[in-house]
Amino acid sequence: MKILVTVKQVAAVDDDFEIRTDGRDVDPDFLIHDLNEWDNFSLEEAMKIKEAAGGEVEVVVVSVGPESVDEELRKCLAKGADRAIRVWDDSVEGSDPIAIARIIAAVAKNEAPDMLFAGVQASDHSYAATGIATASFLGWPHAAVVSLLNYTPGSKMATLQRELEGGTYAEVELECPAVLTIQLGINVPRYASLRGIKQAAAKPIDVLTPSALGLAATDVGEAGSLSRVRRMYVPAKGQAELIEGTPAEQVARLVKIIQEFKGV
Amino acid sequence: MDVALLGPAVSDQKEVTRILFEGFAPSTIEFFYLLGLSAIGIFCWGFYVQIRKYRRGASAGSWNELWSRARQMAQLVLSHRTIARRDRGAGIAHRFIFYGFLVLFIGTATITVEYDGTSRFFGYKFWYGDFYLWFSLAMDLAGLSLLSGMLYMMYRRKWMKLPKLDYKRVDRQPGDADYDRSFYRREDWAFLWTMIFIGVTGFVLEAVRLVWLGSDPHVWNYRWWSPVGALLAQVMASTGLSAEGAGLLRTNLWWFHGLLALTFISLIPFTKVKHIFTATGSLMFRDPLAAQRLPKVDLTGEKIGYNTITDFTWKHLLNLDACTKCGRCQEACPANAVGAPLSPRDVILSLREFANNALQSNALPDEVKLNVHGKGVGQVFMETLWSCRTCMACVEICPVAIEHVPIIVQLRRKLVEEGEMDPLLQKTLQTIHKTGNSFGESKRKRATWTKALDFPVKDARTDPVDLMWFVGDYASFDPRNQKVTQGFARLLHNTGIDFGILYEDEMNAGNDVRRVGEEGLYELLAENNIASLNKSTFKSIVTTDPHSFNTIKNEYPDFGGKYEIEHYTTVVKRLMDQGRIKLDHLLNYRVTYHDPCHLGRFNKGFDAPREILKTLGCELVEMARNRDNSFCCGAGGGRIWIPDPVGTEKPSQNRMREACAIEGLQVFVVACPKDLTMFEDALKTSGYEGKFVVRELIELIEEALTTVTEEEAVAV
Repeated sequence: MKILVTVKQVAAVDDDFEIRTDGRDVDPDFLIHDLNEWDNFSLEEAMKIKEAAGGEVEVVVVSVGPESVDEELRKCLAKGADRAIRVWDDSVEGSDPIAIARIIAAVAKNEAPDMLFAGVQASDHSYAATGIATASFLGWPHAAVVSLLNYTPGSKMATLQRELEGGTYAEVELECPAVLTIQLGINVPRYASLRGIKQAAAKPIDVLTPSALGLAATDVGEAGSLSRVRRMYVPAKGQAELIEGTPAEQVARLVKIIQEFKGV
Repeated sequence: MDVALLGPAVSDQKEVTRILFEGFAPSTIEFFYLLGLSAIGIFCWGFYVQIRKYRRGASAGSWNELWSRARQMAQLVLSHRTIARRDRGAGIAHRFIFYGFLVLFIGTATITVEYDGTSRFFGYKFWYGDFYLWFSLAMDLAGLSLLSGMLYMMYRRKWMKLPKLDYKRVDRQPGDADYDRSFYRREDWAFLWTMIFIGVTGFVLEAVRLVWLGSDPHVWNYRWWSPVGALLAQVMASTGLSAEGAGLLRTNLWWFHGLLALTFISLIPFTKVKHIFTATGSLMFRDPLAAQRLPKVDLTGEKIGYNTITDFTWKHLLNLDACTKCGRCQEACPANAVGAPLSPRDVILSLREFANNALQSNALPDEVKLNVHGKGVGQVFMETLWSCRTCMACVEICPVAIEHVPIIVQLRRKLVEEGEMDPLLQKTLQTIHKTGNSFGESKRKRATWTKALDFPVKDARTDPVDLMWFVGDYASFDPRNQKVTQGFARLLHNTGIDFGILYEDEMNAGNDVRRVGEEGLYELLAENNIASLNKSTFKSIVTTDPHSFNTIKNEYPDFGGKYEIEHYTTVVKRLMDQGRIKLDHLLNYRVTYHDPCHLGRFNKGFDAPREILKTLGCELVEMARNRDNSFCCGAGGGRIWIPDPVGTEKPSQNRMREACAIEGLQVFVVACPKDLTMFEDALKTSGYEGKFVVRELIELIEEALTTVTEEEAVAV
């Protein structure tokens, strides 16, 4: 019995940041990295199933990214995941969620898990696509925005609750193996102590390349993607001005502003 | 005293003595010896069981410098300094009991040495004549001393209604199995009555012997050398007690007194009386920096913190038994004062009961039965542990050197490992891990406060400086505290001090992270800061933050960071003494001063801030709880990151209430960034806003340095 949990190292930007010189991303100097918030919940859901089953379940976390991602994987290992897989080489650079999903699907085919959990979305790019695209590559049943899960390891079916618009819920029955994207609040994620994270360094992180997974160069990177970021920018903010002075001065300033707007 | 006053002088009269076992058949004496040896046997067995219990704990490196430890312990025990603190009555009464008991013990031992030692084996006797008479007098006075102490202790328990002697638990509900702890009350009374009975029967025994042997001038003529006995004998004789009647009474009383005393001796290791040994032992192994420098642990080990009772060091197990339930810790505890489910004494007593149940039997129970965390009898609740502010008030006042705070932090380390904590605290720890500060701000914003200054602050990472300023999180990021930080920068700059900061390489110092129990994160922070400090060139460190001050001063050395560090109050005081800070005018405010825990109680920085206030011309009116008894603002031990329960008074509000009682108070002065945040907030929420203001000492110094118009001066 195995559960595969996909995780992502997300980036948050500083209050003052700059765009990379090519204009297609934020300058990495201004990024603070962390584990995607949703992934805490999907890992916790897997851990709950593992602990309820009493050790028969293997939880494997998988991520696509460079070496810095190991830090997030170690957090997952510290929380109790049995092992971790990271896929990366330079060809993966520039992948969109579809290309990433193709990589994860390749990992899933190797690992043959009974369940695959992903976060609903990643907090940085917010595509909410990787999980579902993976299901599509695998041809597995899937459910998005899962807020409650009833699943016993080894059973053919899982019952779950999906969060819909406007405060309604759908109860869904689903055949396994399946891909579920897990919503925030489904559980209370555990804490990974720093000591745990340090000790998790002893647990294995397998680093794989796309080619080792049988993927062609055209399957990943920009070549394997359906979309590419053209430009990243901060929209110009609206401006406000407090007009001060005597009423006469205020009127004069106001007239000037109106004229400027009219382009006089 | 003139010996003749109490009877004829008697040098070397061998008849003037007390004949032991007078009138007893040899078989009776043998029987008594059998009983005595049995009592000692039971005592030794109990003693062994206790030692075995402590040895079931983990090792603790406290065996160094035994001689100086023993000397300090003896000083504390003999002077009763710690017992008399904040409770003079108990201190005096305990001195009476202690010295009475000590003299009676030495006396009894002296008789044994002669009877079963020098006399039996060498035929040498010394317990007669002058020595015997002075001995009798000393024993009588000791008996009186013991009894009067005991009577006062009874009075305390029966009539003084001291809240600290109420053993009901604050972390349990009425009806819970271990809620009222009446067995401690019963034990107290049993002990008091036993001692009273032993003492009173001793005196009566003395009296009936005098009546019984009244015809012997060697006895009767010297009766006033045992004045209490003589007085009682006088009364007995006047009621017509005959010598034969007295003799009969004496035999019965002798057995009663003797059996009671032997029972007492045999029960010492099993009852509260064992504090004679456990308290002295605890004082002997006292760590003067117990709470200031928390125990370092091996993070690569299998376990961390205290989970089972056998995880405790033998020293902490000894601490548990040393507790005499005096309640001073509970009285000093800020969490307890605001109704949180924590009494340091209850934690100690719970764990003691747990240890006694689990570790006194011949075989150790299963691992799972040794777990001290939980809601069961003798276990400690997580809510209790998280209520602690690690303010050290309990450790500081404990007369017997119990290490409540290190024990609580060890227990929390386990909770942190299991993630058993407030979600907000968990979030804060993750934030500190991610960004290096508790505000979740980016590293590069740490020195943003310097932008408002009209001079550059040196980057100590690249330029050597005299004074390295470790700014700390609150002083760096909190907007209100940034004003103070800027003020201190101006003060240093204008005084011509060569100082610098670490800019974005400074991280949270880790003091509170460590007290939360997140040891792994603490080590990460400490190691990073030490690496940054070591890369820079400076002579000494200054900080305005007492929390950073404490951990850099006391805890960084364990991680290889040995620096000279001062709190800013010490530096400013010195600059004032040297005449390098010249005031523009005096302030004339009526102020009170709040000692920050980490500056005052932790590191004895009581005087510098007070002297600065005096120099500034302020009239300092102390609050009742000041200096070592200062009342924590409630922020310590990570509690600043955990919301307080709604609807109850916070420690900071409690403190505002105390300050408000000072007539005409204008300024409540603090010397800690967290204090400024806590008390400015509490001033608003407790409804005293407008009555006085909360100010950082730096702000007052700056005010006294600045030329102002008169209207500005009154508008504090």
